[in-house]
Amino acid sequence: MFYCRVVGESQERLTTHTIDFPYTRTLGPVFSEFLTGMRDGKLVGIKGRDGKVICPPTEWDPETGDALGNDFVEVGPGGVVTTWAWVTEPTPKHPLDKPFAFALIQLDGADTGLMHAVDAGSIDKMSTGMRVTARWKDDRIGHITDVTFVPEAG
Amino acid sequence: MAESQAADLNAPVVGMDYHMHVQYHEVLCPVMREFADALMDKRLIGHKCPQCGLIYSPPKGYCPICVVPTDKSHELELQQRGTVTNYTIVTPVQYHGQEETDRFAKASLQLDGGGTLSLQDLLEIPVDDVRIGLRVEAVWASDAERNVDEVTNRSWGIGESAIRGWQPTGEPDVPADELPTNVF
Repeated sequence: MFYCRVVGESQERLTTHTIDFPYTRTLGPVFSEFLTGMRDGKLVGIKGRDGKVICPPTEWDPETGDALGNDFVEVGPGGVVTTWAWVTEPTPKHPLDKPFAFALIQLDGADTGLMHAVDAGSIDKMSTGMRVTARWKDDRIGHITDVTFVPEAG
Repeated sequence: MAESQAADLNAPVVGMDYHMHVQYHEVLCPVMREFADALMDKRLIGHKCPQCGLIYSPPKGYCPICVVPTDKSHELELQQRGTVTNYTIVTPVQYHGQEETDRFAKASLQLDGGGTLSLQDLLEIPVDDVRIGLRVEAVWASDAERNVDEVTNRSWGIGESAIRGWQPTGEPDVPADELPTNVF
């Protein structure tokens, strides 16, 4: 799909191209559990071989590459921001339509970080080590965007 | 972004809609801009290679066979009447984004006086009557509707937004063995 228009004093013609790929991907046993949890308002991790809890869960142990069993554990809903970046101008594809932070969040009970959006209102409210908690959508479909995070009250 | 998943709220989530959407802008290169501007004036232009004499429409700014540049001095206006030299009948499959539902033909044309066009729509003729040698003439979109939205830097076809298509002139067919064999 294209459109073309004349722009500016130079009267150049600008073309716009739009490419859409409507994929559906299968999730496999582990992401299925993770996103089914999302749909049900739960955050799910998986136990690694060394007993550490990995969230988001993986099918394989990140240390050894061994296949993991189905040892799922519920984590969160609170957690700690371990690093973050402020997004000043969100694009239409971003999870929030106002400035927000992309943060690595180590959820309570997990030993790894989940990258997700924190709706803090302003950059001044963000800090490494701050506590955040899950804010669930009412209409959840089993997708990573079913949840965003907000600073924990108090 | 995700579309809605299965309606059953108790079933496990086993799939994920993943809609990849890429939008980008680019400025038309000078030769395509000249071509687009001419279409808005209901003119069809091309560049004639100074070495081999082949005519490229849309112009490329070079002849890829002789590897020589072409410019405004090689520009000429093409006639808006010609002959179908080949065609493809497309039976649309209803994939995402497909707007066509009925079979349609895309034709390659040899224009009178020289120059060729590919991927042109044929109007006012049933798909099954399309044939090599058919004489056709351009049907322009009205002044109000005419645009060059479908002209891009990589146009082989020129879309249907300026020239809607080509309709039979009613003249006798040109015998196939009298048609040129060049693509350009």
